[in-house]
Amino acid sequence: MRARDNPFAADRIERIRYRFVGTSLDELLTRLDDMNYRAAITGPEGSGKTTLLEDLREALEYRGLRTKLLFVNDASPLSEAQCRRFLSELVPQELVLLDGADAIRRSSWFLFRRHTVRHAAGLLVTSHRPGLLPTLIECTTTAGLLQEIVRDLSPQTPALSPAFLRALHNRHQGNLRACLRELYDVCAKAP
Amino acid sequence: MGKLNIELNDSRNVFAPGGQVEGRIEWSLDANPTTLTLSLLWYTSGKGTRDVGVLCTNRIDSPGALGSDKFSFTLPPGPYSFSGKLISLIWALELTSTPGSETVREEIVVSPTGREILLTSVAGQGEGKDNQSRPFLECILGVPYAGA
Repeated sequence: MRARDNPFAADRIERIRYRFVGTSLDELLTRLDDMNYRAAITGPEGSGKTTLLEDLREALEYRGLRTKLLFVNDASPLSEAQCRRFLSELVPQELVLLDGADAIRRSSWFLFRRHTVRHAAGLLVTSHRPGLLPTLIECTTTAGLLQEIVRDLSPQTPALSPAFLRALHNRHQGNLRACLRELYDVCAKAP
Repeated sequence: MGKLNIELNDSRNVFAPGGQVEGRIEWSLDANPTTLTLSLLWYTSGKGTRDVGVLCTNRIDSPGALGSDKFSFTLPPGPYSFSGKLISLIWALELTSTPGSETVREEIVVSPTGREILLTSVAGQGEGKDNQSRPFLECILGVPYAGA
């Protein structure tokens, strides 16, 4: 199969948006407002934290809020100097969205937390572990969610049975990103 | 709901590297856009992070809600349009109106053979590593690869 025809190509996966279970985007926005816009989205790797943060950003901007997004991970770490520059350029009307709060140095995190109290409209972060800020939502995945996404991406791939997807979800410990990458390889092997 | 359209001359969508891509754009939008942007670009699709290269952009300011215009772009020597199991490189023309999110894309093929280059695995055929990477390198470079 050509890469461009692979239903699990990265650009197709990027188009999948966060799917809410037991709550909704509007409920989450109300809760975020109640929390004075200082909160954390928590959950393990591949559970949809970044996707949800992106979706919230769009919804917040639609409601007229200004946001400033910063992605931090092992591949793009944040130095102390970069952190200070980012914070110095903030304006009080901006809501800071920090993806990967637990990937920045402890000293930078304290700086972020302290500085954004006075100099920003809020601080919304994603983190693998709870405790950095009050938890807005804990992202989790299920085998059923994986099946739903696979059905949307690749409705005509009979090899991807519910049992296969359950085992895959289990093997990757709920990491949907890892599951979808493996499914790319499964499809790539097809003629 | 507005409408954007890209029409290639003679409905031709396969071009040689360095060739001329010509056609016409048409727009019929509900509101007056501030800008219309037509870009010639390539992007990758596959397992890894998406890569994009924008080669040229034509911008029309205050185009009005309804209209049409001709365009002409000269293609660079490469990269060629290609597909393997891990990555595809796709050339396209993209027309976008601002503000709003109206976008239309017309895919084209840029290749010296008149078809998308298909990269096939040559492992196990007793060829050296240099020969195995030759088709891929030629697609990226847009010129015959003579080896290191």
